[in-house]
This record gives sequence, C-alpha cells and structure tokens, in this order.
Amino acid sequence: MSTAPRRLRYVSANRRVREDRRFVVGMGRYAADVEAANALHVALVPSAHPAARIVSIDGSAALALPGVHYVLTGEELAAATEPLMNGLETPEVKRYPLALKQARYVGEWIAAVVADTRALAEDAAELVEVSYEPLPYVIDAEAALRPDAAIVHPPHGSNVLLDRTFVWGEVERDFAQSQRQLSFRVVWGRSSTVPIETFGITAIWDPWRELLDVWASIQMPKYSDQIARAMRLPANAVRVHQDVDVGGSYGVKRGIKHTILCSYLARRLGRPIRLIEDRLENMRAGDAHGPDRIFDVSVAFNTDGIVRSMKMRALDNVGAYAGRAPFQLGKPIGAIVGPYKIQSVEYRAQSVTTNKAVQEAVRGFGQSPTNYAIETAIDKVAGALRLDRIEVRRRNFIRKGEFPYLIPSGTRYDSGDYHTVVAKVLDHVGWDALQTERNRLRQSGLLAGIGIAACLEPSGGNSTFEPLLNPKNTTSTWMESCRIHVDALGDIVTTVNTTSSGQGHETLVATVIGEVLEIDPDRIRVVRPDSLESMPSNSPVGSRMAIMLGGAAYHAAGKLKQKLIGIGAHQFGAGEDAVVYANGGVATTAGDRRLAWAELVNIAHRNWHLLPPGMEPGLETNQIYQVPTGGTLPTPDGRVQMYPCHSFEFHVVLLAIDPDIGLPKIHRYVIGHDCGTVINPHIVKGMTLGGIAHGIGAALFEEFAYDDQGQMITQTFMDYLLPSSQEVPEVEIVHHCTPSPYTVLGQKGSGESGYLGAPAAISSAVNDALAPLGIAVAKLPIRLAALGDAIAAARQSSKA
Amino acid sequence: MKPVPFDYVRPTSIEETCALLAADGDARVIAGGQSLVPMLAMRLARPARLIDILRLPELSGVRDDGNTVVIGAATRQAATEHHPLIKAKAPLLAKVFPWIGHPATRRRGTIGGSIAHADPSAEIPLVVATLDAEIVVREASGETTINAGEFFLGPMVTAIPQGGLLTEIRLPVWSQPRLGVSFHEVNARHSDFAFVCAAAQVGFDETTHCTACAVGIGGLGEFPVRLDRAAKALIGTDLDHAAIADAVDAAMAELDIWGDLHASAEYRRRVGGVLARRALIDARQAALECPQ
Repeated sequence: MSTAPRRLRYVSANRRVREDRRFVVGMGRYAADVEAANALHVALVPSAHPAARIVSIDGSAALALPGVHYVLTGEELAAATEPLMNGLETPEVKRYPLALKQARYVGEWIAAVVADTRALAEDAAELVEVSYEPLPYVIDAEAALRPDAAIVHPPHGSNVLLDRTFVWGEVERDFAQSQRQLSFRVVWGRSSTVPIETFGITAIWDPWRELLDVWASIQMPKYSDQIARAMRLPANAVRVHQDVDVGGSYGVKRGIKHTILCSYLARRLGRPIRLIEDRLENMRAGDAHGPDRIFDVSVAFNTDGIVRSMKMRALDNVGAYAGRAPFQLGKPIGAIVGPYKIQSVEYRAQSVTTNKAVQEAVRGFGQSPTNYAIETAIDKVAGALRLDRIEVRRRNFIRKGEFPYLIPSGTRYDSGDYHTVVAKVLDHVGWDALQTERNRLRQSGLLAGIGIAACLEPSGGNSTFEPLLNPKNTTSTWMESCRIHVDALGDIVTTVNTTSSGQGHETLVATVIGEVLEIDPDRIRVVRPDSLESMPSNSPVGSRMAIMLGGAAYHAAGKLKQKLIGIGAHQFGAGEDAVVYANGGVATTAGDRRLAWAELVNIAHRNWHLLPPGMEPGLETNQIYQVPTGGTLPTPDGRVQMYPCHSFEFHVVLLAIDPDIGLPKIHRYVIGHDCGTVINPHIVKGMTLGGIAHGIGAALFEEFAYDDQGQMITQTFMDYLLPSSQEVPEVEIVHHCTPSPYTVLGQKGSGESGYLGAPAAISSAVNDALAPLGIAVAKLPIRLAALGDAIAAARQSSKA
Repeated sequence: MKPVPFDYVRPTSIEETCALLAADGDARVIAGGQSLVPMLAMRLARPARLIDILRLPELSGVRDDGNTVVIGAATRQAATEHHPLIKAKAPLLAKVFPWIGHPATRRRGTIGGSIAHADPSAEIPLVVATLDAEIVVREASGETTINAGEFFLGPMVTAIPQGGLLTEIRLPVWSQPRLGVSFHEVNARHSDFAFVCAAAQVGFDETTHCTACAVGIGGLGEFPVRLDRAAKALIGTDLDHAAIADAVDAAMAELDIWGDLHASAEYRRRVGGVLARRALIDARQAALECPQ
C-alpha cells in the first residue's frame, strides 16, 4: 500500500477537464473521422415484420447497380462466424449480426449491401428483394409468458430467459409479523441513452499480417475478445484502436453485431469496410434499447413506518435476443433495499424475449428502474400511514454508525450519512418555504406536488451478477490497469487502456498520478494504447472508473514514488525511512541533502552505477487492480458482494401541472449528492446534471413505443422525445462527502448520479400533485396528454 | 438517411420555375428545406428533381397593400418575425413565431414553405386558416388566388395544382379600432409541432362589443380549422366567458379529431376547446387594453 498524500493538492481542486479543450473546439476524433483509403460502405436491409420466416433473398437487382460490390445474407455470415455472446446459458437463443432464416423484430437486419458510397448502398438496399412468410409474434412481456404465446426462439422452448426467485432473510415471517402490508404495480417504459453520435465502425483486414484493425465508437468490456471469438481469430489478431473519442454512450455503445458484420466483410472483400449508423438504424435496430420492466411490489411495514420486508417481482422485456440484457435484473440485487434497513427481501427476476428490438446496457444497468419501484413503495407506505414522506425515509435509513452495513442480499455497503445529506438539502431548499410555495401554486388553480427520492448509486463495476445469474460463469476478477512511464527527460506518459465516452478518464488518471507524485497533472501525457498493447481493462461500466482506474493509477504512481525514494535514499546512504518525498524530489529527513526530479530521473535512466543493487533501470511501473471487496463468488442461496461503493443521492422536486392541459412544469430541482471524495468537481457536476436531464427524459418524455402490430412508432426525434434545454430546469446541487473506506482516496462512483433517482422523484412529485384528486400514475414515461386525460376523468367522476 | 438521387435546378424567374414545374410531374419545389430535407433524408419524399426558389427576388419580402399584408412565399420566417409591418398589421402571425421550431430553423424556413408543407399542427398554416388569408398560386397559364379555407385538403395535401407555385400570401388587415390577438399551444417540448394549438383575433368597437372574431385550432386532424360558427356566435357579444365557452364547445363538438401516441382524440378535443377559450379570453383582454 502506498503512503497516502498528506494533503490533497489536485484531487477535488477546481481544475479544468483536459478533454473539454478538444471537445469545446470541435476537435474530438470520432469513429466517423477515421478515414480509410479505398473504404466501402454498408447499408442494411431492415425487416418489415416483427416475425417472419425469410423465404428468399434476391440481391441481383442491387448487385446490378454500378458501384455495388456485395450483398451479404445471414446464411453466409452465420456459416463463417460464431454466434454473438449470451450472458446466460441460453445456447438456443442464437444471435448473429444478420437474421438467420427468421426475422424477429421490425428493423432487424436481413441483409447488408456494400457499395462505393453510403448513398449508393442505400439505393441498392431498396432493390434487395426479400420474400417473407409472416409468423405469429408477441410484443408484450406478460403476453410472452402465456402458454399459447408465439415463441420468439422456438428451439429454446419458451420465451423465458431467466426466472429466478431469491429469498434473502425471513420474508414470510416478517410479512406475517408486520402490522400493515400494501402492494402495487409500476411500469418502466423502454427508453435508453440515445447518444448524439450513433455507432460507427471501420474495419480493415490485412491478410499479409493476419491482423484485423478496428476503429469503433465502443464502450464494451472485453470487446476485442468477443470479436476474436465470433470471427474465429486468435485474440492477438484483433487490434482495436482505443484512441477514438466516443460521442456518448452510458452503456449502449456495444455494436458487436456491427463489428462482426464489418469485420467479416473486410475479410471477405479485401477492402476497408465502414458502417456509420444513421439515426433510424440506431433507434430501430442499433440493439441499444434499455430496460422495459413491470414491477409488482409488496411491502410489509409497521404503523411507525418501519418497512420490514419487501417482495419484488421484476418482469423485463429484453426484446428479440438475449445478449447481456438479463443481467440488468441482477445488478440491482446489490442495492435491492436502497438506503433502507429492510430486513428481508424476496426478489423474482424474470426476463422474457419478445419481438421488440434488442436491449443493451443502459446507465445504471437496471438500478434506476429498481429505485423507482423502491421509492414508490416508500411514498405509498407514508401515504397509507399519513406520515411525512421524509420522516418515513429517515426512520428507515441505515444510520451513519452502522456502516459497513450488510444488506440481506449479501452486499456490504461501504459508508454513508444519509440523515446529514437530507438535513443539508432541506436546509438549502427551505423545506417549510417549499411547502408554502406548493400550497400557493395549488391555490392558484394548479395541481402542485413535491417529489422526494432517496437512492444509492452502487459503483465499482464488480459484475458478480454474472456468476450469480449464470452458475457456469465463475468470473470473480474485474480488474483495471494503469501503466506509468517516465522518459529520460523526466516527462510522464500514462495509459488509459480503454475508450472513453465523455467520462473524463484522462483528467482522472492525470489528477490522481499528479496527486501521488506531487507533480502538476497538466504535465502528464495520457495515451490510449491499442488493444494489443493495452493492459487488462473491463472498460468503464458500473460507475467504476474513479474507483478502478483511479485505484490503478494511484498504486502505479505509488510504486513509482517508492522507486524514486529508493534511488534517493541510496544516494544519501540512508534508509528509506530516513528520507522524505516531496514535490517530485527526495530529501533526507534532516533536510540537508535533496535530489530533484530531474536528478532522480537521470540516475534511473543513465547511471546504472548509482542505482541501488538489484533495481531495474528506467522508470516504469504499472498496476493491475482488482475491485476492492471483490473476488468472491455467490453463495448457493444467492448472496453476493456486488459493488464496493455506494454513493447517495436525495432529490427534492417542486412541480406543477396545469390541470386543464396536463402539462407538468418543474419549478425547482434540488439534489443532495454524496459520492465520497470528488476527483474533479466539474466532471461530477456534469454527470449529475446530465443524469438528471436523462432521468427527466425517462420520467416524462422518452419511450421506444411499439404498436400492437409490432411496429416501432417512435423512430425519430419527432416522436422519441429527448428533453431539451427548455425542459430541463436549473438544478441546485448540495454536496456532501462521506469517503469510502475501500478506495484509495475515499472516492465512489458518480457516472450514474442524478439518473438513478430523478425518475422516482418526478413520479413522486406528479403523484403528490395528483393526490387531491385521489389518482396516481404508475407508468413511465408520464405523457402529458395521458396525464391530462387522467385528470379530466378524475374530475368528471368526482362531479358524478 | 441519404436521399434518393435527384436533379437540382435553380431557376432565375417565376416563369422559368412554372415551366419547369409544368414539365416535370416528379419535381418538387424547395425553399428553406426545413421539412423537405429531413423527408428526403428519410426517403419519405422521393422527387426526381428539386427546384430551388429561395433566391428568386420577387418571392421574398413583406409589403403593405392597404387591406392586406403581402408576404412573398420565400420570405424567411425570421425575416418576417422581425418585420415592423408584421408586428403592426399582422399581429396574430407575429404572435406565433416563438413557437415555430428554433431560431436556427426560422432563419432557414420560409413562410410559403410552411404553408405548402401543410402540416396539420403547424402554426403558420393555422394563422392563415384562422384569418382566411388568400394564397396566391402561379402557373404557366396565369395566377390564381385560393382562400385558405379551400387551400388545406389534408395532412401535407394542398390545393396547389400540379405545376403550380405558391408565390405569396395575403393576410387581411382588420380595420377595427381595437384589435386583440392570442395564441396558445400544447406540446411536450417547447419547439415541437403542437399536439393542439389555437389562435384567436378579435376586434372591438369603442364599446365592449365584439365586432369581428376569428378563431382556429390546429393539430386536431387533417388540417387547421377555423371555427366559423363560434366566431359568428360571438360577434356582437361582449365576449364574456360564458359566451365564449358556449360557442367554442358547440364548435368543437362538430369536429372530426384524430389521436396518436402522444395525445388521444379525447385529449385534443377537450384541450383544443380549452386553448380556444383561453385564446379568445386573452385576445379580448388585449383588445380592450388597446388605446382608443
């Protein structure tokens, strides 16, 4: 363990985010900016049917157009590649980049057309004649469970990918002994993160070097391994270039099907292949939709508001193929009781296939929907007991002195001080004044409500939901790495061994190394080696990089510092305990002798004769860092340590609805946020504000909606509504810092902050506003017209 | 999202434009392109030829023609928005601009383009329909004038004949000494097309009698509608709330209204009425506040 810096100099300081410089001036370099000479372009032929047997594909008319090179079908591709990876053991749910024999959702890629230009490829794609035999289909998750449902993958035998019930603690006893119970259903609509940059890739196969080069807009663990496996190549024949900027992701940039399609074509045709999704392809068949979930929740509680036990059933509609989507039911197990001391939980996780587009990881990996269900439960308990919603939360919160706190499902929460954060927020907001303001709005004829949400952001990306839900998977290592090299001139180069999609990893790693070495972070060059030169990484998932890349950088820097101390001590003829490291130099404790950075570097690089015996020359250190608290497999009864760290957020929203129209307007938005030690305050602020905007989208606007014919009816930004600057209010952030005992600087994750509680908070505010009418909404997104219709119906029936 | 291949021509006169249009049934006029270009990219519009009229000088500009304000079809929305004549003599049109797209789209988009595109929920067509403006169409054979009431035939369908070019819009200037206008719209996001919107213009004499009234609703179905029955019923009244409610409710009950994912037909009927009532109430207030 390295010696911790005495006083933070760069960490938490108000310093610029170094990546912002290139983004602000428009000089980011994205996948579409990679220009390969002689490249060919791909367009896709989409399925018009939610389910159909592919009778025949005739590409002759397309191929007859000058400049069209190839029409690829699923049959050819499937014969030459392995199926894409499934997270669960569902071998009969096979997924290839192009549909094989059967189409399973509208928009699914049936064939790929390769041409000199993208426009020509689109012209040609229209000429590919596909003959279909329509098959029965199923769109709704509950319908997919019925015995007579159309089966999306007949060889699998049913639409059920996962149906597992966990019981943690004495649930039935606690229900029997509790004074009250209530049950409800809430529904989380299918939305996503919808990045500005769609997925893009260029693939080049070099037959003479036997090397596949890939530039992609990717955020994906073990991407190059997956390419190698599907392409039947050794992993050292796949070189993913990680020095591309990724224009937004939050989980969804996992274009493995695009990658395998283009990699195969690059090999087959001997030309560079480029596919930049257009918006329609991205929305309809980018396979990047988020959770689509029904929650049935029962809670058992006492009249003092203490919630003793919870039963939650989560039914998730993953769409046409499995992928990693079912795991999004697994991660929330690591915070299944939220910030509350609920003693026992029954959790039934059900994942079904339907004829919708494929689901992918989305910010929070299922946690935000789960938080919405938990917070709805707490509001309902308060409502049933006519207790204050904040008071009920306070009574149920884990207390500061109780950490580390073991929750029934096996995770030990690291630290927190929920009561203090709530107190700070209420003080900031002026709680009495806020209620007065709500009442004033109500008296003016509006329906006004205050929304409350408290929730956790599990962070650290220890993906033990994989072995938990798939016993054949015994992975317990979720490492991240960092290498530091100091050249002979004393300049520092360090590595980020993955792509970034706006999280500021370069700032993070430079700040942490600068802190440890006491050197200006701006002097540290950060590079992204390609996948063949990289150290192991699990990519930025699960709010892990502040903890994991920060931890790896911290330890690598600590090793470097230790080496410099060894060199210095040797020169002074002193023991290492008789010297001090400061500002990049080493001095004797007495202060009579000192060697500066440049002198130490010179010795390391050029003066073998001055090095301590046995020390390697040069200055290079690295660290492969395992997740703190990670490393154990689940118990047979389904308990596991999920993520190491748990950030806390507390939202207060004032919202008013014009009752004649249904239009909700947010009047005030305050969030209290505690993610431990902040590495860079601008990055955390940006994450939180963006997360709240995203959460407002999920709560009020965004949905990939399907009609009962299986057509997706929100295919463009005219219908898939992203909140704009006009809908997102000014957000006030109240900070608190409870360091994590498990991380090098006390930091926790913040990549999902805001998003994890905003949908619950908005829903809470709307329902507080509707309470005088005796109605509630239980489905997201809350469309304003549906809200208007519900208000009108309630007023009508109260008149009658 | 690449358009189907098309030819592009930029004629130098209205006559040449009409000749080109008459000669080619698959040609389409492009002006600001704010609706057409996305439709091209989505391949929802597949013209063989685009005829760009944006730089024809005679199609651009706003002028006072006494009883009407005349706006050239290719006049940019932003130029119209900030034109003093529009504020002075076509206040209802001036009112809607902040609701049309964004400042950037208004810099490109044209008045005539929005009308010819005929989106049922668009703001400019609603103003044109509410005021029953005249829409001037030029063909090789000559010029015809179509009243807005006969111009909009359905979603994205107008009475512009094959080979015709929309050249100008004539908005009537009301002579009442006291005039009030108002516009209300509901959508999920401020700059979107309306789920439903309503426009009203009322004129008063020196007393509190309403002597002229026009009210229209957009977003209900096939095209923006002018509530003539309601307007007729209100002329001569004091435009009190009860009269407004009765007139609007009666008019709304007659309409054929569509629903979709974003808003049900019931919503549009109910809220269309709410907005029409609000528009009339606000317009009355504005009129009565006019200096006499």
